[in-house]
Amino acid sequence: MGKVDRISGIFWLCFAVLMIIQSYRLGLGTLHKPGPGFLFFWVNIALGIMSLVVLIRAWVGKKGEEPQRAIFGRQNIPKIIFVLISLFLYALLMETVGFIPVTLLLFIFLLGIIEKKKWYYTAFVSVVVTVISYLIFEVWLQSQLPKGLLDFLRF
Amino acid sequence: MDIFQSVLYGFQVALQPLNLVYCFFGVLIGTLVGVLPGLGPAAAIALLLPTTFKATPVSGVIMLAGIYYGAMYGGSTTSILVNIPGEAASVVTCIDGYQMARRGRAGPALGISAFGSFIAGTIAVFALTLVGPLLAGIALRFGPPEFFALMLVGIMVLTFLSSGSMLKALMMAAVGLTLGGAGMDSISGKYRFTFNIQALLDGVGLVPTVMGLFGIAEVIENLETEIKREILTAKIKNLLPNLKDWAESIWAIIRGTILGFFLGIIPGGGAIVASFASYAIEKKVSKHPEEFGKGAIAGVAGPEAANNAAAGSSFIPLLTLGIPSNAVMAIFLGALMIHGLQPGPLLMTRAPDIFWGTIVSMYIGNGMLLVLNLPLIPLWVMVLRVPYYLLYPLILLFCMIGAYSIGNNTADVIIMLIFGIVGYLLRKFRYDAPPLVLALVLGGELESSLRQSLMLSRGDFSIFVTRPITLGFLIVAFLLLVVPIITQRKKLSTLEASP
Repeated sequence: MGKVDRISGIFWLCFAVLMIIQSYRLGLGTLHKPGPGFLFFWVNIALGIMSLVVLIRAWVGKKGEEPQRAIFGRQNIPKIIFVLISLFLYALLMETVGFIPVTLLLFIFLLGIIEKKKWYYTAFVSVVVTVISYLIFEVWLQSQLPKGLLDFLRF
Repeated sequence: MDIFQSVLYGFQVALQPLNLVYCFFGVLIGTLVGVLPGLGPAAAIALLLPTTFKATPVSGVIMLAGIYYGAMYGGSTTSILVNIPGEAASVVTCIDGYQMARRGRAGPALGISAFGSFIAGTIAVFALTLVGPLLAGIALRFGPPEFFALMLVGIMVLTFLSSGSMLKALMMAAVGLTLGGAGMDSISGKYRFTFNIQALLDGVGLVPTVMGLFGIAEVIENLETEIKREILTAKIKNLLPNLKDWAESIWAIIRGTILGFFLGIIPGGGAIVASFASYAIEKKVSKHPEEFGKGAIAGVAGPEAANNAAAGSSFIPLLTLGIPSNAVMAIFLGALMIHGLQPGPLLMTRAPDIFWGTIVSMYIGNGMLLVLNLPLIPLWVMVLRVPYYLLYPLILLFCMIGAYSIGNNTADVIIMLIFGIVGYLLRKFRYDAPPLVLALVLGGELESSLRQSLMLSRGDFSIFVTRPITLGFLIVAFLLLVVPIITQRKKLSTLEASP
């Protein structure tokens, strides 16, 4: 627990301090007329105190009683990072490239490269998923997904 | 309108063909979501919210409600067959349900959980019909101080009941409140905590936040520790429980229903707590407590009834007071607001079609679920066989499309992804996300009711102690904070550890 709480305690303490400064700048107002920063100033003072308690407990308390375990299982971390990068790229390219090409690419990447499936399986599933999701969301639910590069087709 | 007339009106609304179709799709998708591990009801409602935008508010709300109680039904199927709870409220069902399945009694286990859920769900909806108008009547007399105190109680109960450290849960509530403050301040018109980021001008959106915290984070966590699933391949037969099964479980169902109903009403309570509490009680009152953990049917029937009753009754604080009692109801509140509705004591008079239509649709939906669940079990088992390498890209795609279609912009998608990473880190650092979500939703209202109260009293804090209802709520909130410090709080995790 120690390491977990030390890291998170410091993070939340910094968060609270930042928000206390921000709230103070916004204006606390008076008790008759509380300002826009009033509630958040006090809430973050409470958060700061609680983070300190977490920190102090982690430092002073049961040191060495619990075996130190790695916070993250290292094995699949690269996979998670690649998946996340692909999702961010998907979001960023969605409007310029368009829903259909970008979804195809995402599935080819996830199934073919990350999951290392056979190419014909990857191709088949990617096309089927793209077509069906397009039909459900664009045609049936009229979600107005971005057309991007395929805008000229006007379907 | 008296209650009888109102219910009749509700039937008129709910029985319209279009609403029936939406109700059917809601419970069907809900069951599917309940069956699929790694996608809880909160994420599912957030995910499917954009699909209701084109529908009328009544149809949309009926469908979303269906998804919620449908997920409660479906969750039990995976618990029994695979020993993996489809959603958190079915964790307890794993204990005896899976043991029953291993003894070749998967059929009666699935059967009794479906019947138990049906009975409990129906009774809860019936009670909701009676209690709803009563509570709404009382709530009409509430002013800003009462609402402020009540919302505080809601947040306190949720942190009190959270599975991990209460201190960390309180910290999450503080973070949620702060996030809720981002965007424009409705009283002064000033922008807060936007850090010059365009996407934050409208505040932190509830739907992308929830999709991130519960949907994306869940997928990332599952990618780290790949799920290994063993599905019982034996044929499932005799779905109908026999007379002996009924005799052993009928009281468990009734006790579970009553318990679940009351725990569902309390803000912060809900289906998860109800199912654990019911299991503990059944084990205590049973003549054969040694059977628990080895396949006792009462250990399946009680918790299943409890979580469904709680699912039904948790609509009460939302629809009558406008206060969500748990994370799922928080999304539901967001959904109602997107559809242009303000839940609260006035909902019943301003939008009776929504109030009564939704409630009655739950009666109908419960019936549909009973019919749907039993014959479709082979289909759900098939769904369970979909490999995770295929499932997670689909869940991710749904999240991406869902987040995009909220406002047709990529900012929401990015916010969702960021909260996905945050949610994953919170799990790693053992912080609970639900108090954050509840505080995020209540944040705006909580702040304005506090500021209005202080303006009313001209800055005098005694307004919170001179009004009896407010004082009562505040005492409850205070006790919830202090009791765990004085006595050792009995955590859910200890219940989990000693089934």
